[in-house]
Amino acid sequence: MDNGTGFETREDLVFFGKISASISHELKNVMAIISEAAGFLEDLTKMAQEGKPLQLDMLRTCSREIMEEIDRGFDTIQQMNRFAHSVDDDVKHINLTEVVTLMIHIAGFLSISAKVRFDPPLDADLTIVTCPFRLQNLIYQAVVYAFESVGPTGEFRVGIIAQENGSMCISFSGLGTKSLRQFPADETSKMAVSIGAEIRLSENSRKMDITVPKRMESWEHALSQTAVPPD
Amino acid sequence: MEDEQKIRILLVDDEVKFLESIARRLELRNFKVMTATSGEESIAAAKKNLFDVAVLDLQMPGLDGAQVLKRLKERHKYLEIIMLTGHATVETAVECTKLGAFQYLEKPYAFDKLIESIKDAYKARLKRKFEHNEKRYEEIQKLSLGSSPFGILKALARLDNGEK
Repeated sequence: MDNGTGFETREDLVFFGKISASISHELKNVMAIISEAAGFLEDLTKMAQEGKPLQLDMLRTCSREIMEEIDRGFDTIQQMNRFAHSVDDDVKHINLTEVVTLMIHIAGFLSISAKVRFDPPLDADLTIVTCPFRLQNLIYQAVVYAFESVGPTGEFRVGIIAQENGSMCISFSGLGTKSLRQFPADETSKMAVSIGAEIRLSENSRKMDITVPKRMESWEHALSQTAVPPD
Repeated sequence: MEDEQKIRILLVDDEVKFLESIARRLELRNFKVMTATSGEESIAAAKKNLFDVAVLDLQMPGLDGAQVLKRLKERHKYLEIIMLTGHATVETAVECTKLGAFQYLEKPYAFDKLIESIKDAYKARLKRKFEHNEKRYEEIQKLSLGSSPFGILKALARLDNGEK
């Protein structure tokens, strides 16, 4: 994805690194819980050896927790795998619902307790042709901003609307004003331009729309839109 | 063991399952544990209850661990605080130490290490309280030698001011 200016390579790498760190943090939490549950089983065993009655309900709770965390770990690894493969093709067919779902999930790995409701239309064709990695970056930045804007106890909604001209509108509503940073940042705006997307943020109506074309222009064209002119 | 003889721990983490796992293991080892799932909740809990040691997760939504550490240390000067983190960095370790953290542990850690840290933190709390009390006792002794009864009372009130 390098157009020779270095800009894209760095921004893309920063995003890849950030998501990898976030996923590893999530996996570490999973491992920490499993480790504590295993330790608890050991504690119970020692107590039983000392002649104290074995508490079956505690054993049951503990083994259920271990299984739940293993499922959570597998689920996280599956998402990591999908994210890692998003750099395989510069441009390809993607299902927008899957990408938005993945990014909401990954953004949730940050220490965020706010809630998000995602209601994609069930009957519409939400397939587009785009650069999956860049689109993920754009949606991730938007979701994180939305989480920040509503604060730890807030809630916002995300939807997808297919437009008459074939483009798709990812709509964020119920946003708040608690985010301390400006959105979109310059890098995010450039990212959007590179895939032909448009961001419209209306703070008064607490709404944000990201419109993405049904089919992105050629990659060469996209790169020329973000290329930094030589000094 | 009677409840009043146990070390009182405030355990704070937004990862609820982790919090519950640690709490029940600590309780099995005869610690008295209260849990909080956010910084705000932990500050409220510390206001209402007396704790010897707090174990705080660094990364939490809302008030993060460092902010909570700062506030708890301002309001409860003898409370010793152990910080937990998923990803330790030198910068955050230095920041937490500057803010008064007793220790900084990276997850996942050996449970015995946590127990050892809590016991050390408790000893440090007792030592600081003892030294402070001893200093106060010396001051009171000095006062009783040279002041009038009213002067002694006034000075005692001054010495007692702000104690928690």
